[in-house]
Amino acid sequence: MQEIRRKYVVPGDRIIDGNFRPLFNVIKAGNSIIATRVGIAEAGREGVKVIPLSGIYIPRVNDVVIGKITDHSSLSWEVDINSCFSAHLPAQDVFGRDFSPARDDMGSQLTIGDLITARIIAFDRSRDPMLTVQDKDLGKVPRGEFIKISATRVPRLIGKRGSMIQTIEQSTRTRILIGQNGIIVVTGKDSDGIKLAVRAIRLVEEEAHTANLTQRVKSLLGVSDPSRQEPSPIPKPQNVQKNDELQSSIQGVEEELKEEVEEGERT
Amino acid sequence: MTQTRNLIDENGKRTDGRTTDELREIRITAGVVKNADGSAFIEFGMNKIVVAVYGPREVHPKHMALTDRCVLRCRYHMSPFSTDTRKNPAPSRREVEISKVMREALEPTLMLEDYPRAAIDVYVEVLQADGGSRCAGITAASVALADAGISMRDIVSACAAGKVDDKIVLDINDTEDKEGGADMPLAYMPHLEKVTLLQLDGILTEEEFNKCLDKAIKGCIMVYEVQRQALMQKYFGNESELREEQ
Amino acid sequence: MSSSKRSTVIVEHLRRQQMWESISRGKRLDGRNLDETRVIEIEPGVIKKANGSARVKLGNSEVVAGVKVETGEPFEGLENKGALILSAEVLPIASPYVEPGPPDEETIELARVVDRGIRESEMLDLNKLVLKPGEIVYVIFVDCSVVNADGNLFDTTSYAVVSALINSKMPVFEIRDGKVVDTGQKVDPPITTLPVSVTAVRIGESLILDPNAEEEACMDARITITTNSDRCFTAVQKGSTGAFTVDQLRRAAETAKIKGDEIRTKLRELTNVGR
Repeated sequence: MQEIRRKYVVPGDRIIDGNFRPLFNVIKAGNSIIATRVGIAEAGREGVKVIPLSGIYIPRVNDVVIGKITDHSSLSWEVDINSCFSAHLPAQDVFGRDFSPARDDMGSQLTIGDLITARIIAFDRSRDPMLTVQDKDLGKVPRGEFIKISATRVPRLIGKRGSMIQTIEQSTRTRILIGQNGIIVVTGKDSDGIKLAVRAIRLVEEEAHTANLTQRVKSLLGVSDPSRQEPSPIPKPQNVQKNDELQSSIQGVEEELKEEVEEGERT
Repeated sequence: MTQTRNLIDENGKRTDGRTTDELREIRITAGVVKNADGSAFIEFGMNKIVVAVYGPREVHPKHMALTDRCVLRCRYHMSPFSTDTRKNPAPSRREVEISKVMREALEPTLMLEDYPRAAIDVYVEVLQADGGSRCAGITAASVALADAGISMRDIVSACAAGKVDDKIVLDINDTEDKEGGADMPLAYMPHLEKVTLLQLDGILTEEEFNKCLDKAIKGCIMVYEVQRQALMQKYFGNESELREEQ
Repeated sequence: MSSSKRSTVIVEHLRRQQMWESISRGKRLDGRNLDETRVIEIEPGVIKKANGSARVKLGNSEVVAGVKVETGEPFEGLENKGALILSAEVLPIASPYVEPGPPDEETIELARVVDRGIRESEMLDLNKLVLKPGEIVYVIFVDCSVVNADGNLFDTTSYAVVSALINSKMPVFEIRDGKVVDTGQKVDPPITTLPVSVTAVRIGESLILDPNAEEEACMDARITITTNSDRCFTAVQKGSTGAFTVDQLRRAAETAKIKGDEIRTKLRELTNVGR
C-alpha cells in the first residue's frame, strides 16, 4: 500500500488518492484526500492525517491545561485557557458539595490572576469547557517562570513517551509543567538552568516541523548525543510529585499517539 | 462607462507597460502582525494591504453567537492616506459593500461548523489602494486564515479581468479601472474549481463576458501560486524544496 | 463621560511577580535596562500616493503615518495660518482587544496628545502655509494607523508623524483666476523643530521607559513628555489611575530631555535629514 511520510501541505492540497480513511485535518473529496490545514501530512495503513503547525487550542475532554483565573460568579470561576472558549471551574469542585456562597469566600482559594493546572472534564458543542482540580497535582501553580507556546507544538515538546521534555528537565535541573493548551511553567533552583530550559523550549517551538530537532536541542543543552536515542523509562506514580505531573502529560501524549489513529477529528 | 481615450498603445502595451495577459507584480508575506492569530501582507501592483485574522475566539456580545457554527466577520477598511484624495476614516458605503462580498467570498471555503459558538474576525486594512484592492484583500485574507490554522476546504484566490480598448485584459490597474470599459473582480477556489465572488461594472457582450470569466480564472490560478509559496516560505522555509517526499 | 473599567488584559500573578523581582534588580523581563528604549525602525516613504509617509516600529509596536496636503478654509481664529489636522486610529488588526467602531477614549487621547506635541512645538511653520489670508490655506492632514499594539503607542505614533512630515514633499498651490491650482512643483515642508515624545511608566517605585504591552498592563501610572530641538517642554500628559511624587516627575522630565536628544538624532539619521 502506498505510504506518505512527511509531506508539507497547505489547505486544498491533495495528499493522496484512493480508499484511505480520513483521520484528522483532512477531508475526502471524490477519490482524493485533501488537507484542510497547513502542516505535515502522513498517510498509511491507519489512514490519512495532517499534523497542524498553526491554530489555537481547541479544548478536549481529559486534557490537562494550565489556565488563568479571570473572573468569578457566585458559583464558579471563569478561567482563560488560551482557547476560543472560556472555561469554568465550579466552586463546588474546590470547596466540596456543601459549598455556600454566603459562608465560603471564593477569594480565599483563588483570585483573579492566579494560574491553575486543571483537567477538562466536560466539553461539547453546546457548552463551555468545565474544569476540575480534584486530581493529584492539579490546583494552583504557586511559582515559576511562565511561557506561552503554540498549542500545536506541545506534542513535539513532550516527545515520544516524554523523551524530549525529560531531556530538557534533566539537563537543566528544572521541572516543567506543560498544559496541552500551550501554557508552560518552569521551576528550578538555578536561574541559569531555568533560562536554558526556556531557550530549549523556544527552539522546539520554532523548529517543531524539522527533522533532527532532538540533536539540535541536545547540543543547545550541552548533552552528549549517542547516535541512537534511548527513551528513558517512564517513572512510576509512587515516585516524587514531579513525576506525577510529567506522568499526566506523558499519559496525554501516549493516549494521543494511540488515539491519533482512532479519533475522528483532531485539532 | 464608455472610454474616452486609448489605454493600449500600438505595441499592445498598457498604461503600465504590461501586455493584456500579464499580472502586476505580487508579493505576499505571511505572519506579519505579531498580535494576530494569522496575518498576511500583500503588495499587488501599488496596492499595499495588511490582513489580520483573530479567531476562532469568543463572541462579544454573547447573543450574537450561533449554536451550530462559527460567526465570520469581515471588515474592509481604507486608511485615510491610502487614496489619491484623503479619505475620511469613517466607513463609507463602498467599504460596507466590499466587506460583505469579501465575507461571502471567504465563507464557502471555511469549515465554520467546526467552531460552534465562536467567531472569526478578518480585518482587511488598505494602506495604499491601486485598483483591484478587493481582490488583493481576499487573496491576502485567505493566506491569513490559513496562517491562523482555521480549517478550510481550499484557498481562495482573487483576480479581476476587464475590458480596455475593446480588448479583454487581465488584472486591471487604477487608470483602467477609472477609464476603461468594464471591470470584473472574481474570487475562485483553485482545487474545487468554484467561483465565490463575482461582480461586474461596465458593459460586456455575452462573448466578452465569457472571455472575461476565463481570463479572471486564469489570473486566480496564477495568484494561487504566490499564496501557496507565501505559506510554504513561512512554515517550511528553505526546506520546502528538500523535504517533500512520497 | 469616562468610567472606570475592568482591565482588558489580566496579567498572571506569576508573571507580575517575575516582573517586579526583575525590575528591582534593574532589568526588565525582555532584558532591557529600566531606561532603555526598544529598537526604533523607520521606513520613510512607504506610501507612495501620500505626500509623505513613514512606517515606524518601536519594538513590536507599529504605526504607519501618511501626510496629505490639500487646500481649504483656515480654522476660526487662525485666519493667517495653515491648518494641521492630525488623526490616529488603532486598527482592529493591531490587537485582540480592539473592536471596530468609532474611536474610544484611549484612542482619542492618543491622537490629541500626539497632536499637542506637534502643534505646540510649532514643528510646522503654519504662517508659511497661507494662500489667501482668511480664505484659503494649506490643509495638512496627518493620519496614523496603528498596525500592531505592543505598548507605548504615544511615542510610536509621535515618531511616525515626525518621520512622515520630515519625509514629505509638499505640492505648491497657486490661485489663478480665482481657482486653486497645483503648480506641479514640490518643496520641503517648513519645519522649524523636531518634537520628540518620551513615555515612562511607574511600576512600584521604579520608573521605566518605553513600556511594552505587558508592562503597561502592570503599570501604576504613566507620563508622556515631549521636548523640542531646544530642549524645551512642549506637551505633557499623565495617564492611568495611579499617582507620581513631585520628585519622580522631575526625574522623568530630566530623562525626557536627555533621551529626547538621543532619539532626535536617531530620527534624523533614520529619515536621512539633517534638520
